Amino acid sequence: MRIVVSLVCIVTLCGCQREERQLRLDPPTAAALDGIALMPNKIGGAPPQIYFALDRPYETNAYNLSQGKRLYTWFGCKGCHGDGQGGIGPSFLDGWWYYGPETVSIFASIRDGRPHGMPAFRDKMTSEQIWQLAGYVQTIGAYSAKTAAPSRNDDKQTRPAENRAPAAILFNEGPTPVHPDQGPQP
Amino acid sequence: MTDTIAHAQILDTELERPRLTGQLAETWKTESGLWGALSTVDHKIIGRRYITTAFVFLLLGGVLAILMRLQLAGPEQRLIGPDRYNQIFTIHGANMMFLFAVPVMEAMGVYLVPLMVGTRNIAFPRLNAFSYWMFLAGGLVLWISFALDMGPDVGWFAYVPLSGPQYAPGKRADIWAQMITFTEVAALAVAVEIVVTVFKQRAPGMSLDRIPLFVWAMLVTSFVVIMAMPAIMVASTSLILDRLVGTHFFNPAEGGDVLLWQHLFWFFGHPEVYIIFIPAVGMVSTLVATFSRRPVYGYLALVVALIGTGILAFGLWVHHMFTTGLPRLGESFFTAPSMAIAIPSGVQIFCWIATLWEGRPVFKTPLLFVIGFIVTFVIGGLTGVMVASVPFDTQVHDTYFVVAHFHYVLIGGAVFPLLGAVYYWFPKFTGRMMSERLGRWAFGLIFIGFHATFFPMHILGLEGMPRRVYTYQPDLPWHGLNLFASASAVVLAAGFLVFFIDVVMSARSGNLAGDNPWDAPTLEWATSSPPPAYNFAHMPVVSGAHPLWEQPGALNVADGLHTDRREVLVTAITTAAPQARESSPQNSIWPLLTAIATSIMLIWSIFSPWAVVWGSIPIAITLIGWFWPKGTPEDEA
Repeated sequence: MRIVVSLVCIVTLCGCQREERQLRLDPPTAAALDGIALMPNKIGGAPPQIYFALDRPYETNAYNLSQGKRLYTWFGCKGCHGDGQGGIGPSFLDGWWYYGPETVSIFASIRDGRPHGMPAFRDKMTSEQIWQLAGYVQTIGAYSAKTAAPSRNDDKQTRPAENRAPAAILFNEGPTPVHPDQGPQP
Repeated sequence: MTDTIAHAQILDTELERPRLTGQLAETWKTESGLWGALSTVDHKIIGRRYITTAFVFLLLGGVLAILMRLQLAGPEQRLIGPDRYNQIFTIHGANMMFLFAVPVMEAMGVYLVPLMVGTRNIAFPRLNAFSYWMFLAGGLVLWISFALDMGPDVGWFAYVPLSGPQYAPGKRADIWAQMITFTEVAALAVAVEIVVTVFKQRAPGMSLDRIPLFVWAMLVTSFVVIMAMPAIMVASTSLILDRLVGTHFFNPAEGGDVLLWQHLFWFFGHPEVYIIFIPAVGMVSTLVATFSRRPVYGYLALVVALIGTGILAFGLWVHHMFTTGLPRLGESFFTAPSMAIAIPSGVQIFCWIATLWEGRPVFKTPLLFVIGFIVTFVIGGLTGVMVASVPFDTQVHDTYFVVAHFHYVLIGGAVFPLLGAVYYWFPKFTGRMMSERLGRWAFGLIFIGFHATFFPMHILGLEGMPRRVYTYQPDLPWHGLNLFASASAVVLAAGFLVFFIDVVMSARSGNLAGDNPWDAPTLEWATSSPPPAYNFAHMPVVSGAHPLWEQPGALNVADGLHTDRREVLVTAITTAAPQARESSPQNSIWPLLTAIATSIMLIWSIFSPWAVVWGSIPIAITLIGWFWPKGTPEDEA
């Protein structure tokens, strides 16, 4: 009986995180989310302490990932990156990250911009929104599908949805790599 | 064991009464202990479980209703946030429809139909056990997911695109869709059992015109279930496919159709209302006859009305969709049956009034609930005719007027008769009477509390208060009526509390009932209370629609069944002339194991499509175990 109760408690805790919807963050939390510590070369670094206190909600929480997907459309990411396959800007779908695959690097890219055309969204989005978008962008290039990843949109389909792990499909496509710079191993 | 079954040869004619009942009890018994409880196929034990579980879900759903009323008692309340509120109203609706109303009606049928037609067990008893376990698993899925903060939040109807892949992130909508599958499998199983029981296992002499009205009602309901439920299973499965593997059933950009969802849902959803309502009117017909001390007026008209309701139920699903921009002709076409369904309902109401008028009514608690039903249901029916008209419906669509309307027809039309039926059949279920005094209190509180809670919602709806809002602003003129409705909801809840207290207390220490405390005419009262495992020592033979009134004292009986193996009598479909002795399955653990395997597959398939492949292997194994040949001899004609 005790085992059953403790199991239920554990499942409860896991479940809470995955599906929880925080519709409005506490202002101190929202402010603290901005405090990332980047490496001097602006690649990689540490997310703020609060990020771990919240249990990395922007990578594993279904609601945040799906909000990220909406922000991806709303803030014009498609203009350069297309549906994730790239365009003027680099592709995410090939799983090749110029500035590393960590969410904090992607956060920094969106917030501060990058050379060769990536604008800074610091003044256009809140930190929470940037985290949501970063988590989603990371999901596009994930090698294995997250269960929490968004599904298809009600649009014309140009590629498999995020929860079908398209990046993995691309890696297994054959001897010829999809991205010329990618090399044999990601 | 196999040996004794293979050589069944002791006939009941060869045994004296005490030895006969002793041997029947041995043949039909459910072992005590956990194993016996898990492997039983006795329709009475399963029916009682089903009813109890459904009432537990009623209690849980009622708690959610009270939470919503507390949140809406004043403007800008902060008891429940918008996200939690969405989950609560969805689970309240889904729970009440799929886990309370439909199962409880089917459960009453599972318990009562075999007794009322005078047979020893329901047809396909193992399927019956499977059905209960599936229902229980479906209920647990819904409520555990709610506890995990991943309860469905898309409304009990889960309209796409809001429940589709783009707008319903996470697994919440999938939980809803799969919970549907669980309860539909359970309901379909019971429906098939009841159809076969009513058609092939009636007591000799119970021709079609002598079937009790509740049994007729369950028969019609079962056919409605069989025809309506496949639509929703197709719909919910398509939804999961859209969400998980990216099919395009409901994606207009790729040739799918959003409105298709509403058609599939309401093609099931409207008959669903009658799946709940038709058994309830069967109960009312039974109660009215018993407590008026005379046969019900217009038996034929009532049966035809039941069948007519069942048929018309499939002709009015579009009236839920009047505001979706359908062609005018379509709207008019579906207005016609929406109004026409009032005719069979009206016929029944007049038959009941005529019965009461001509009889000598005894106003015990069950009859009070019937009176409450007639009053409430007529009001709900009138608002139903109102919303059947397109211009009026366009005005009040998605407002509290509709909330008021369907609570009037569902609580008034189904819960009132059900509570009356519980008071009526409780002595048969437990052998003990419920308290008349507490019963009157329960009725009074529920009746007053119900009307005071839901009548103001008509006015709120006309004033424009939309459904499914978690709060409203202080400058809107809805505060007073909402506060009044919330306060009345407490009275309503108190009434249900009295009812539950009465049930628990009476089950432990009520007055002993005896076989037939109400002097009722139908066969379930011919056996002891609660009935023995074999229901009847001899098969009753009936020569009228009211056997216990027509043959007071002792019933005619038929014999010639074996007592050392489980046998039921198979009779002809129209005349109920005896045709064959059919063996009835033994207790078995396999239905439970199959239900567990099926549950694992269904829940897993929310997360991975491969579950359907790998999950079907354990199901196949358990089904093989279930149907493994037993060496039972062929049935004897």
